[in-house]
Amino acid sequence: MHTERLFDRIDSIQIKGVTKKYGSRFAVKELDMEIHGGELLILIGPSGSGKTTILRMINRMIEQDSGSVIINGLDTRKLDPVRLRRNMGYVIQNIGLFPHMTIGENIGLVPKLEGWEKNRVKERVQYLLDFVSLPTDLFFNRYPRQLSGGQQQRVGLARALAMDPPLLLMDEPFGALDPILRKQLQEEFLKIKMEIGRTIVFVTHDIEEAFRLGDRIAIVDQAKIVQVGPPEELIFNPATKMVSEIVDTERKFKHMDTLNVKDLMSPFDSKYVFDSKMDTCDAVNEMTGRDLETAFIFDNGRLLGRITMVDLMKCRTKTQKLADVVRPLKTFQPLDSVAFALSELKKSGEYLALIMNEDRPSGILVSDEVLLKLI
Amino acid sequence: MTIVLQTVIDVWDKNLMTLRTIEHLQMFSIALVLSTVIGVIIGIFIYSRQRTANTVLNILNIVETIPDLALIVILLPILRLGAGPTIAASVLYSILPVARNTYTGLKGVDEQYTYVARAIGLSQVETLWKVKIPMSLPLIAGGIRIALVFCMGVVTLGGLVAAGGLGTVLQNGIQLYEKDAILVAGLWTGLLAVILDSFAGIVEKKLHERYGKW
Repeated sequence: MHTERLFDRIDSIQIKGVTKKYGSRFAVKELDMEIHGGELLILIGPSGSGKTTILRMINRMIEQDSGSVIINGLDTRKLDPVRLRRNMGYVIQNIGLFPHMTIGENIGLVPKLEGWEKNRVKERVQYLLDFVSLPTDLFFNRYPRQLSGGQQQRVGLARALAMDPPLLLMDEPFGALDPILRKQLQEEFLKIKMEIGRTIVFVTHDIEEAFRLGDRIAIVDQAKIVQVGPPEELIFNPATKMVSEIVDTERKFKHMDTLNVKDLMSPFDSKYVFDSKMDTCDAVNEMTGRDLETAFIFDNGRLLGRITMVDLMKCRTKTQKLADVVRPLKTFQPLDSVAFALSELKKSGEYLALIMNEDRPSGILVSDEVLLKLI
Repeated sequence: MTIVLQTVIDVWDKNLMTLRTIEHLQMFSIALVLSTVIGVIIGIFIYSRQRTANTVLNILNIVETIPDLALIVILLPILRLGAGPTIAASVLYSILPVARNTYTGLKGVDEQYTYVARAIGLSQVETLWKVKIPMSLPLIAGGIRIALVFCMGVVTLGGLVAAGGLGTVLQNGIQLYEKDAILVAGLWTGLLAVILDSFAGIVEKKLHERYGKW
């Protein structure tokens, strides 16, 4: 089946007077909103506020009771839902890669159904795997269960981009990942966002994520949008008390001076330790097995630095050892102040440091985690 | 030892057992293919019209309770002597396990996968072929394996109604009280069933490895 392309770029998505009720409860009530072409709009709010419902009404996974969603002047209710969905990418928290298909088949599924030639599908999949930093030769024929959580989420993103859609819908895509991994994927996603320049609607409940990724943020509460605007507007001119509570970052820094690094670090685990003499190919598999995106490299108990999965994949030859690709890492003492540690991290552009207690690793400091723990 | 072997060869030749085995396997394969095709179609049908599921499965259950010999005899006036009634009875028996397993397999596909399939733009038919059926294959194969054993049993009974096959050898042996013929044909039929079942078991295991492990 070949479906026609509905739009090459998004000029605007208008949501007009949309209401959705479940029983007597409003999931979304008389919602009016405009999503601009090319922006990344964040929908954030407490669970049950209706943010996911709004997202799913855009691709008609949920049908509104009244009102309309208009993309580039086209009313979505007048379009065939299958055709509509093939014109947008969709990424969800639990990813949902099909377990009986290889990574290549998962990503190439819709292009194949669209009747693309075999070679064209393969080329597209290779391009996308490369785009999300997964080397084709290693991953094309693997099954989803052989991948770590972070790798699966990358494949999920590649699948969403398969048809080169001008609009991406993302439903808490990083929600299920551990904090270190989440931070890293967000960083990568930011780069991807720059490159692809698409319109993205992104649901999250993590305000840090919202501030980091969003061009504009829509605060959703009790089936209504309370305020929409760029991050600074929400911080400086919160419309309601609820908005100021959600975005109030000031409070988080209040006790910073009195706290030590050891109060806020995440515990260290031996699974993060890799030997510098291990070769990089083995390390990729080992990190996948341990579900890691970052590892710390030691040489006879001496810290050399850290490696990330992405680094390993970009410079992979048979004879390379981890010692050759390791990158430097900040370390702190348990009794260093948090404020000092954070400012050092910020200076070096890092988000992660190892806490060493007399040459022995005792914890990991992740800048975002620190903020969250302070709330 | 040589005497035993000689007896087996004599019995085998006298009863035309090579021909009988071919007949046997022919009836068996036709019955198995038919019951698989019909069973899978019924399974998909009752899955897509869930309200009919209970009724259809109950009817198949009732068919299952009719003793196999009685079923063959009932079918005799309609399909005449020969392979017809035997094949039809095998099929009627074997539809249930295939249909039920297909239905259970399709129902058991995790909703997150059907949700994602819909969300990335698969139509209902595409979701069925690309996601639901492949993910149900291990269970469907399990149903076909049960059907295989059923067919083997019923086809052997066919000897009673002149259907040919190894049942005929057994039947003659009983009529003429030839112990050797009964023994050789009985053991050979049993061995065939075991070989075919283990083969099906291997296929089922392969499908589990390919489609069932997540």
